[in-house]
Amino acid sequence: MTIMMPASDQAVLGRRDSIVAALRAIVPGEGVIESAAEMIPYESDGLMAYRQPPMVVVLPDTTEQVSQILKYCFEQGIKVVPRGSGTSLSGGALPLADAVLLGLGKFKRIREIDFDNRVVVTEPGVTNLAISQAVADAGFYYAPDPSSQIACSIGGNVAENSGGVHCLKYGMTTNNVLGCEIVLMSGEIIKVGGKSAETSGYDLMGIITGSEGLLGVITEVTVRILQKPETARALMVGFAQVEAAGQCVADIIGAGIIPGGMEMMDKPAIHAAEAFVHAGYPLDVEALLIIELDGPGVEVDELIGRVEAIARSCGSTTCRISNSESERNLFWSGRKAAFPAVGRISPDYLCMDGTIPRGALPQALTRIRDLSEKYGLRVANVFHAGDGNLHPLILYDANKPGEMDKAEAFGADILRCCVELGGVLTGEHGVGIEKRDLMPEMFSEIDLNQQQRLKCAFDAQGLLNPGKVFPTLHRCAELGRVHVHGGKLAFPDIPRF
Amino acid sequence: MDTLKVRDAQDVEQVVRAAIASEQPLEIIGHGGKRLIGQPMATNALLDLSALNAVTAYEPNELIITVQAGAPLADVLSLIDSRNQQFAFEPMNTSSLLGTPDIGTVGGMIGAGLAGPRRIKAGGARDHLLGAHAVSGFGDSFKAGGRVVKNVTGYDLCKLLAGSWGTLAVMTEVTLKVMPRSESERTLVLRGLDDLAANKAMTAALGSPFDVSGAAHVPHSAFQAAAGGLAELGSPRQAVTLLRLEGITASAVHRAAALASALAPFGAAEVRQDAASAAIWSSVRDIEPFAADGALGAWPVWRIVCPPASGGALGQALARDTGGDVIYDWGGGLIWAALPPKPDAQAALVRARVDAVGGHATLLRAPEQIRRHVDVFHPQPGGLTALGERVRHSFDPKNILNRGRLDRRVAT
Repeated sequence: MTIMMPASDQAVLGRRDSIVAALRAIVPGEGVIESAAEMIPYESDGLMAYRQPPMVVVLPDTTEQVSQILKYCFEQGIKVVPRGSGTSLSGGALPLADAVLLGLGKFKRIREIDFDNRVVVTEPGVTNLAISQAVADAGFYYAPDPSSQIACSIGGNVAENSGGVHCLKYGMTTNNVLGCEIVLMSGEIIKVGGKSAETSGYDLMGIITGSEGLLGVITEVTVRILQKPETARALMVGFAQVEAAGQCVADIIGAGIIPGGMEMMDKPAIHAAEAFVHAGYPLDVEALLIIELDGPGVEVDELIGRVEAIARSCGSTTCRISNSESERNLFWSGRKAAFPAVGRISPDYLCMDGTIPRGALPQALTRIRDLSEKYGLRVANVFHAGDGNLHPLILYDANKPGEMDKAEAFGADILRCCVELGGVLTGEHGVGIEKRDLMPEMFSEIDLNQQQRLKCAFDAQGLLNPGKVFPTLHRCAELGRVHVHGGKLAFPDIPRF
Repeated sequence: MDTLKVRDAQDVEQVVRAAIASEQPLEIIGHGGKRLIGQPMATNALLDLSALNAVTAYEPNELIITVQAGAPLADVLSLIDSRNQQFAFEPMNTSSLLGTPDIGTVGGMIGAGLAGPRRIKAGGARDHLLGAHAVSGFGDSFKAGGRVVKNVTGYDLCKLLAGSWGTLAVMTEVTLKVMPRSESERTLVLRGLDDLAANKAMTAALGSPFDVSGAAHVPHSAFQAAAGGLAELGSPRQAVTLLRLEGITASAVHRAAALASALAPFGAAEVRQDAASAAIWSSVRDIEPFAADGALGAWPVWRIVCPPASGGALGQALARDTGGDVIYDWGGGLIWAALPPKPDAQAALVRARVDAVGGHATLLRAPEQIRRHVDVFHPQPGGLTALGERVRHSFDPKNILNRGRLDRRVAT
């Protein structure tokens, strides 16, 4: 393990029994888990290379209980790590040895479906997919669709600002949530937003979304729902060169077309996926694009024609167009199974998540290829090409000494490359512990201090999910100091009127 | 009052640092067109960003534009229009409502965050601000976000900056998402519906699969003062309910027909297309019937955001109880209310009714003497107020930037 977590508070660990008793008083029965064996499922999240048993697990089922737990921990100076379904790929829910792991898994109820206002009010433990299923009869769905949507919780989606294949056209979580109930570390319950399009005051919903469990514990979410498009059709287009595929993506966007989804796979990913699901992918191409158009039939048919022409002008070598739902699903099946498919050809893999400007795609691929040679590790590339979000999968074998370190170093180099090309460290998986120490690649100390000051506004003692996102922790008092520069009393020499 | 016309981000840092040292709060302006919005401020110097007016980079294929905060919005709009692109949130032009000379700067557009009719489909200013460079009330330049659409690296500070009315930081440069303009548009016009029926028609339209990108209702009394594209609709004795469909021509035509047939129970729909349709929506966006130089120019104007399906009843009650006029946008989720002048601009009545449906109301236009004594922005519950204040403090602990603009109790 190369990531250092905050030192354990021995005094807290020494009081473990009384802490467990206090939590039992708040959440009776099976809601408190403290035996080593029963806590094993909570030791890691989707970033499975990292494991750490928590001090104790608590599973409340009311907002009032969450409030009492946090208030107790706040008063006692005990750290808390919140957890939804535990599908984070960046270690956002990795426990700490001296922290209470607060699981929201019992918040499983959809509280209200309001078709007239086109919103669903739900508890945070409800899965992403369950929301769409609950409103499907009326033709509605919830747009963000992370690949873990069958398992990931909506509370976790808000905490991580999750994306998905369709966020090119329909936005990420932040563009699709209207309000929430959040419990602060002090135990205070705050309602932000609601069924209106905008909140009053500062956009706290916007800052809570994507805050990775560092600002508060979400106990209710209001999401907006959309009517399903009339139809969707997909094209599967092969290219002899990655550059041509990249050009095709740029030309489609340049022509004013925003597809519902636009995904790219490189040769290793195509081969792994085809061997796994037999989607009929061409094996002699260097890059494959899956482009989905959705909307009314007349629109989709016309846009399919336009996209096909653009693809041809970019030198596509193969192009298939779906003529039925089953064919469309078949095109997607390989892409959707890309991660497990790669899992079949390698004992272990690391899934990276940088974003680059679309135009830099060929450059990024070349750099990744060079790094692959340098590190002597294979890589398969899957991209949300439409929005420049890369998911290079680095193949390695954790049983070979040093290989995991090598894979992590390779991954870090890819993310540095994304920043150099004008992009960012993470497009949808979050910083967590995984990219925490790379934050200075993108942000100066001043930038990071400003973000941490905001954390202080919500959690002045730094008890909620410490060790995530920020490489260096500062005390709030220190961050809040205003330096008077030079003690000047007059405004400087600047043109005035 | 001193006006400090900064030349670059370093100047901004210097001015803010000097302001901290001398404890002199600053009012942040671009063209100054929105100075009439908010509580009167306790500031005694102007930080003027209008010289930071460059377009840093425009990359149509990346769907982004990076501009300095003081860049004239009119120029930026015509630049992206020349590449057939737009800000999809349809920023409102407040100049006719407030009687100010021009549409202002990009920084003002983001700081105010006033989105137009397409907000129901495309989101608001906050959804289109990808990154920013700004100077905090600590006098430090910091960066928020990035230059790509998909980014979850660190806290999303851009969301806070959008709509913060210059109270958190002085933006010096912003990166915005641009989107392709639609090939064509159609507007369905339903006539003669009362507010409740119109609200139902808009709810049905927005709950349909036809991808409606504008849903507005202008009751007949407000319609009498109509100007611009709305006036062209003629027949001022009837209310009009407007539904917009945009996209490639075949799609817009198809959806307009399908929606008209779905809305048949509400009456026969007329269709306006392209330029005529665009003129209607620009008039709705800028609330031209309430223009400062029009018949209702002297009336205070409230901007009310509420759950869309409760808009009809709320607006109807407000108009009835005050003798005022209302216009609905966002399918009922945004109500513009011009109310006959009263010393408190009818704040108590407006807020009681708006609170009852879980909305919020901003007194967007009123004379300064009224804004001195009335909360311009909607009062929030205690916990939320305190949290918002801690957030503000985390950016500007000395309350140097636009002091008191959001909260009249501060401006002392």
